[in-house]
Amino acid sequence: MKYLVISCISVLVLLSSQAGSAQEVLQWSGADRSGVFQETGLLKSWPAEGPALLWESADIGNGYGSPVITRKNIFINGEIDTVSYLFALDLSGKFIWKSKIGKEWTLSYPGSRTTPTIVDDLIYVTAGWGQLACLETQTGKERWSVNMMSDFHGAVPRFGFSESVIVEGNTVFCSPGSADTNVVALDRFTGKINWISKGAGEMTSYCSPMIIRLPQRNILVTFSKSTMLGIDTKDGKLLWSYKQEGQDVDCQCNTPLFENGIIYCVAGNGNGAFKIKLSEDGTQITEVWKNGLCDNLMGGFIKKNNYIYTSGYEKRQYYVVETNAGTIVDSVRFDRGTTNMADGMLYLYNEKGQVGLFKPDGPKMEQISSFKVTKGTKAHYAHPVICGGVMYIRHGKALLAYKITK
Amino acid sequence: MKKSSFLAISLLLIMSMATAQEFSLDEILAKHSKALGYENLQKVSTVTMTGTLIQADAMPVKITRMRPDKFVMEFDIQDITAWQAYDGKIAWFTAPYTGNPKPQIMPEDRTKEMKTRADFEGVLMNWKAKGHTVELVGKDTVENSPAYKLKITKNDGGVEFLFIDEGSFLISKRLYNRISRGKEVPMENYFRDYRAVQGIMFSFTQDTHFGGQPYNSLQLDSIELNNPVDEKIFQMP
Repeated sequence: MKYLVISCISVLVLLSSQAGSAQEVLQWSGADRSGVFQETGLLKSWPAEGPALLWESADIGNGYGSPVITRKNIFINGEIDTVSYLFALDLSGKFIWKSKIGKEWTLSYPGSRTTPTIVDDLIYVTAGWGQLACLETQTGKERWSVNMMSDFHGAVPRFGFSESVIVEGNTVFCSPGSADTNVVALDRFTGKINWISKGAGEMTSYCSPMIIRLPQRNILVTFSKSTMLGIDTKDGKLLWSYKQEGQDVDCQCNTPLFENGIIYCVAGNGNGAFKIKLSEDGTQITEVWKNGLCDNLMGGFIKKNNYIYTSGYEKRQYYVVETNAGTIVDSVRFDRGTTNMADGMLYLYNEKGQVGLFKPDGPKMEQISSFKVTKGTKAHYAHPVICGGVMYIRHGKALLAYKITK
Repeated sequence: MKKSSFLAISLLLIMSMATAQEFSLDEILAKHSKALGYENLQKVSTVTMTGTLIQADAMPVKITRMRPDKFVMEFDIQDITAWQAYDGKIAWFTAPYTGNPKPQIMPEDRTKEMKTRADFEGVLMNWKAKGHTVELVGKDTVENSPAYKLKITKNDGGVEFLFIDEGSFLISKRLYNRISRGKEVPMENYFRDYRAVQGIMFSFTQDTHFGGQPYNSLQLDSIELNNPVDEKIFQMP
């Protein structure tokens, strides 16, 4: 009987975790912010005209932020008449509610620029002029909000606040970017300050952070203007920093990746692709290599085995970087843009609006299929999201849902 | 053997004469007109082009043209929509990315450029009636392809050169000078990827070099003919 109960619980836990991983994307760039979506059974090639468009929601406001997906709903933010709204849709793209967040960015590259973060029944979202709000997912009712400029003396970077905030335990982290209030940890239920870090005292950049979990401590890894920061999540102590070289270096958009004691990132406005070793206790770093030729600015990167797949910026092409020495071992012409992975395949969405399905094959990447996104407005910058067999692509005011299973 | 050698030599001579054949200006323009599908173009009153303008960023672009000389280009810089237009009399533009969203009249030299750009049939068609002068000034190569070099002196005094590809008789390059910071700087438009749309040849990729350096690339996805167009879109708001 005891064994039966344990077996049943194990099966339930297994089923629950599988369903959760396959049918929900609750924050920026997948469960661990690595750009990889935990999906299976996806198409290995597409028809010439692309996968079937299931539906289109054409009025989500201007923006570049990606959606998050629960088992019932889709949440995405957009700008309408200078105001940032968070929209809740059902899984067929029908609107359920919308809530005002604050003033949205309307200068260069106008529109919303962040992806919401969901934890349980609360959702956290940032607008371009620094408003960070916590809302109830069910109703859109605001629980609390802060403004990174007026409440924390933050300085708005030249393309607006663009951080998709991260939550750990009861804490949500944000980066106002002032000299004394650089990175802030807030109680996620009340918005009250847990700690303030001076970081490197620089203006914030555009990075959506990640968290390294070690036995000794957890580390928030993010970027300010020209510096990657490692901050202890418990007390805000700056453990280490990693400077990006070059003049006028201020666009640090990509989320770093941690794997087996190593931090990888591609900083298009600075050191390019780089690999640094983290000490066991997380308090020190050592640069292993950097490669300035691999200069992806904001499209993210994917690491699989010993290779990084990402696009260039100055040269409009994609690269494969070997991770032992940091050498570019292949380049593929597919303009420049985002890189994601699901079910062993690479999903590329370039600035010309082409979506490519590529097979990563060690030092090579092979194009299998592609199609062009013809609906929507403005620039093709938003990172796709893959969840429950559906590929969600935001193109300005339009959210498009493509069926990528049989 | 003697007979066959003679025939072969004769054939080679004829072939070499054919390839080396020099055409007059009128013949080149007649061949260009035929290659372009001018007969079909005469049945067209509007052209609507959509695609991407790559100039640092890749941004959507829409160009609308209307007979005889109306032109408007709607494009994005920093993802903010801007316009350049010519309504047959006035050339105007907006530059919201500079912080000024108001429409402005183009300076004289840019107005001349826009007037040329707005010529629905292009400067070569009916050039005499338009008051231009066209001269065949020799041969040149455009990216390793031989081309006839034509000098066009326009009715406003402006000069530009057009290069007609010797094989296709389509325009492969346009060269003119633009005033930039008080100096004349060469602008080169390279016309590539010609495709037929309802019997008319259109270049779907136009790469521009400014001062010898790559400047931008217009890459078209679609060209539609005779769509209904409201004339108001060409007028300065």
